[in-house]
Amino acid sequence: MDAQRLKDSFARVAEQGDAVALFFYSDLFVRNPHLRDMFPIGMSHQRDKLLRALGSIVAQVDDLPTLVPFLQQLGRDHRRFGIIAEHYPHVGASLVATLRYFSGTSWSEDVESDWNAAYGLVAKVMLEAADEDSLSSPAWWNGQVVAVERRRFDIAVLRVMPDRPLPYLPGQSVALEVPSRLRHWRYYSMANAPRPDQTMDFHVRLVDGGPVSPVLVRGTENGDRVRMGAPVGTLTLDEESGRDILLVAGSTGLAPLKAILEQIARRPAPPRVHLFFGARTRDGLYDLEDLAKMAGRFPWLRVVPAVSDESGGHGFSTVLQSGPPPGAPPASGSWFDAPGPPPGVSPSGVSPSGGDDGVEHGNLSDVVARQGPWDGHDAYVCGPGAMVGHTVEQLARLGVPRDRIRLETFADAQR
Amino acid sequence: MNSPNLPVVSEGARLTPGELHSVVFARAALGRRGYDEEQVRNFLAYVERELVQIFNDQAVLADEVNRLRAQAAKGTRGVMAPEDAHFQAVRILSQAQQTADLYVADAERYTRELAHEARLQREAILSDAKGRAEQMLEDAHRKAVAVAEAAVRHAGQQSPPPGAARAGGMPDGAGGMPDDERLALQREVAYLRTYSDVYRSHLRSYLEALLRNVAEWEASEQSSLPR
Repeated sequence: MDAQRLKDSFARVAEQGDAVALFFYSDLFVRNPHLRDMFPIGMSHQRDKLLRALGSIVAQVDDLPTLVPFLQQLGRDHRRFGIIAEHYPHVGASLVATLRYFSGTSWSEDVESDWNAAYGLVAKVMLEAADEDSLSSPAWWNGQVVAVERRRFDIAVLRVMPDRPLPYLPGQSVALEVPSRLRHWRYYSMANAPRPDQTMDFHVRLVDGGPVSPVLVRGTENGDRVRMGAPVGTLTLDEESGRDILLVAGSTGLAPLKAILEQIARRPAPPRVHLFFGARTRDGLYDLEDLAKMAGRFPWLRVVPAVSDESGGHGFSTVLQSGPPPGAPPASGSWFDAPGPPPGVSPSGVSPSGGDDGVEHGNLSDVVARQGPWDGHDAYVCGPGAMVGHTVEQLARLGVPRDRIRLETFADAQR
Repeated sequence: MNSPNLPVVSEGARLTPGELHSVVFARAALGRRGYDEEQVRNFLAYVERELVQIFNDQAVLADEVNRLRAQAAKGTRGVMAPEDAHFQAVRILSQAQQTADLYVADAERYTRELAHEARLQREAILSDAKGRAEQMLEDAHRKAVAVAEAAVRHAGQQSPPPGAARAGGMPDGAGGMPDDERLALQREVAYLRTYSDVYRSHLRSYLEALLRNVAEWEASEQSSLPR
C-alpha cells in the first residue's frame, strides 16, 4: 500500500465535496436497500461526518499510532448504530465504487488495490475494537426518565435510570437518542458523579431548530425511554494533581464540571475549588440554587455566578425581594437608605463581592481573569465554543500552562 | 364439389407445405382431360393471396429489423447495460435524498426563525414587565411618602399626649420615646402601610393579567405541540 498515492487519490476525489458522500450513500443504498433504515431521513450531517472521518483516516494512514486509537473508538461508537461485521464489506464495495467514479482516468488497478488494502485494515481495526468492547459492555443502554425539572423555558434537567449499570468517569458524556427522533444521537454530559442507584442527570438546553434538544426540553416526561451509547470524553479530573482547582462553566457546560465537583467532594481532603458559572442573563443561571447549597456546605468551595448581557441593574425578581426601588429618590427618612440583604438571596459561600447578591457582570472569561491569580491551579473549562476559547486564552495569558487546562466545547455536539 | 383434400381457405390460417403436398384435384368432367378447371383456378387464387400476405409480412419484418439495428447502433434507448442502470438508480436516489435534505433544512430554518421571534417577544414582554414593576414601586413610594408627611403634619398639629392614641398604632413600648423619634416612627409606619397597600393592589392586578396570559399560552401550546 502506497500511502502517498492514497492521499493523492483522496485529495483529487475530496475536491468534489458533498457530491462524493452523496454518491457513496446512494450507491450503498441501491446495492443494499436494507441499510437505509439505519440512517436518519436528512443526511447532510451524516455526509459531513463521513467526509471528515475519511479525511482524518487518510491523513493519518501512515501514522498508525494515531490512526489505530481513532479507528478503535470509531468501531466502538458504531456499535450503538447496530452496525455488525457483515455490513463492513458492503461499505467497502461502495467506497471503492465511489472513489473509482470520481477518479475518472486517474483510477488504476494499483490505486484500487491501495484502497482495498486500506479499507481492509480500517475495517479490521474497527471490528476488532467493537468485538473486544462487546465482551464488557452492551452496544447501547436503555434508560428511563425518572425526573424532569424545567428550569427555564429552554433549559431542563433530566434524571435517567439506565437498565443496567453504566460505569463512567465524572466529566464524561454519552450519546442520547429519543424514540421520537430515531437515529439522531446527541452527546450530553452526566452532571453527577456516579451514584449507588445508577441514576444520571443531564442538563439540556434547547437549541432552536435542532431535532433532539426541543424534544428533551419540552416534550419529555417521567417514564419516557431513551437510548444511550457508551461514555466518552477526556474532560476528567486529574487525580494525581495536588493543585487547587478552577472550574469555568458556561450555561449547560456546567454539567460535566458539576460531576467533577461531586467527585472532589468525596475526597477525604478536597483542594480549594473555585467554580465560575456564567450565562447571558440571570435566569440562565439555572442551577445556582443547588450550587449555593454546596458552597454553604463545603468550606473549600467558592461559587462565583456571572452574567454577561445584563447590566448591574436589578432584575424583576430582585426588585420584588428587596423593597423600595434603588432608583427612587431617598425620602426624608432614613429607612430605606439601606434595604439590607433580602432574605434567602445571598447564600453563604456565594461570592459576596459583586454588587447584588454576588452575581458578577461581564464576559465569563474576563470575570475569571479579574479574580486571579490562577497560575497555581488546574483549570477545567466547558461551555459554548467562543466562551471556552476566550477563557483558555485569558488563562494562558495569566500564566496557566496549557497542559493544566482541560476543556470541552459542546458547539456541535448538542442540537 | 370439393375434394376432401383440397385445403379449406379460411382467413388467417396460413398455407403449409404439407397442405400443398397433399392437394388432390378431382378429375375433369367426362369428355375433358385433366383436373377440374374451377378447382385449379380457385386454388391458384388462394396461393396468390397467401404469397401477397407473405411478401407483406416480410417487408414489415425487414423494417422492424432495420429499426432495431439502427437503435442498437445508437446504443442509448432501449435496453440498458446493467452498469448504466445502476448509475441511473444512484442518480435518482441522490436527487431524492437532496430533496429530502432540502425539506429538512427548510423546516429547521423555519423553526429557528419562529423560535428567534418568540425569544424577542419574550424579552420584550419581560422588559415591559420590569418597567411596570418599577413604575408600581415608584407609585407606591410616592403615595406613601405623601401619606407619611401628612401623618407627621397631623400629629404635629395635634401634639398628642404621650401614650395616647397614636396615628400608626405604635406598640406600647414606644410610649416613652422623645417626640421627634415618635414622629419619625409614625411617619415610617404610615409610609409602609400606604406603600404596601398600593403595591399589593398593583401587584394583584398585574399577576391576574399574567395568569390570564399564561393560560392563553398554555392553551395555544397544547394545540400546537406535536407529541
